[in-house]
Amino acid sequence: MKQFSTLLLKEWRENLRNYKIFWIPVVFILLGVTEPLSNYYLPQILDAAGGLPDGAVIELPDPEPEQLLVAVMGQFQLIGMLVLVLAYMGSIAGERKNGTATLLYVRPLSFTSYFLSKWLMASLVALISVWAGFLAGYYYTAVLFSAVPFGEFLSFAATYSIWMVLVVTLVLFASAAMPNAGLAAGLTLAALLILQLVDSLFGSRWEWSPLKLPNYAASFLDIGPDVTALVWTLAISLACLIGLAALGIWLSKRNRAKTKV
Amino acid sequence: MVDERTILLVLPILVLQIALMIFALVDLIKNPDPNGPKWMWAAIIVLLNIIGPILYFVIGRRNY
Repeated sequence: MKQFSTLLLKEWRENLRNYKIFWIPVVFILLGVTEPLSNYYLPQILDAAGGLPDGAVIELPDPEPEQLLVAVMGQFQLIGMLVLVLAYMGSIAGERKNGTATLLYVRPLSFTSYFLSKWLMASLVALISVWAGFLAGYYYTAVLFSAVPFGEFLSFAATYSIWMVLVVTLVLFASAAMPNAGLAAGLTLAALLILQLVDSLFGSRWEWSPLKLPNYAASFLDIGPDVTALVWTLAISLACLIGLAALGIWLSKRNRAKTKV
Repeated sequence: MVDERTILLVLPILVLQIALMIFALVDLIKNPDPNGPKWMWAAIIVLLNIIGPILYFVIGRRNY
């Protein structure tokens, strides 16, 4: 436990000094704010971009606030996830290269504490980012259009948070498994892309899949998800999370021999 | 042309963009070995809004 808190302090300082704890949330907030704002100014933007005949009147229906929040989630799924994957691809693979690992691995190190301290810090940054981004998006949507019921918003953001923690776990697992950071990011992105493709192609055949978490999150803003499907999806996600973490701990222990001295 | 409401709405974005730029520039100045010439990264950070600082943090920092 002492080791875990020491390692967690190391991770905290590292995230503070490389500004990850600041810049990643800022990126998410910008993503969250831009979506409602650009929708609000769409008529003016179209007007300024030109190409329309004089006197043309642009009338756009006001977008539903729910749609805007789902669009913000779409941005997180694309740019947000990319940023998180690229930011944390090197957490373990990079340490083997830059010399931190040589300092750590010569000591009697508990790899469970080592992996979990990284996981906790990365998840924390991901959660702060997701919530800051969604709250900014929620606020701007409420000011510019109309408010989504706050309870629905909370269930939406909470369900999506679980998906993001799962993504972070996958990045750390890949970072433990792969010899370098680039391959770790490649593995994570390829896995996410292929799994999402498979789920969108054949996903109608099953209801329980962690990949459906963003869909279930979005459905909270609509009619609400099927409760049994959601509970089973959450259970399977938790199992995946524990499995990936356990594999990550095992692999980070096994791959310590690959450390560059 | 630009009314007060628009300024109030866009101001937070501006502040966040500048904050992001400052984080990236401070990090660049402290960085002894960025992935590429320092002046190039400084130009990228200042000239490309939002994307510039992200590019620097992801590629230019050599944190792997």
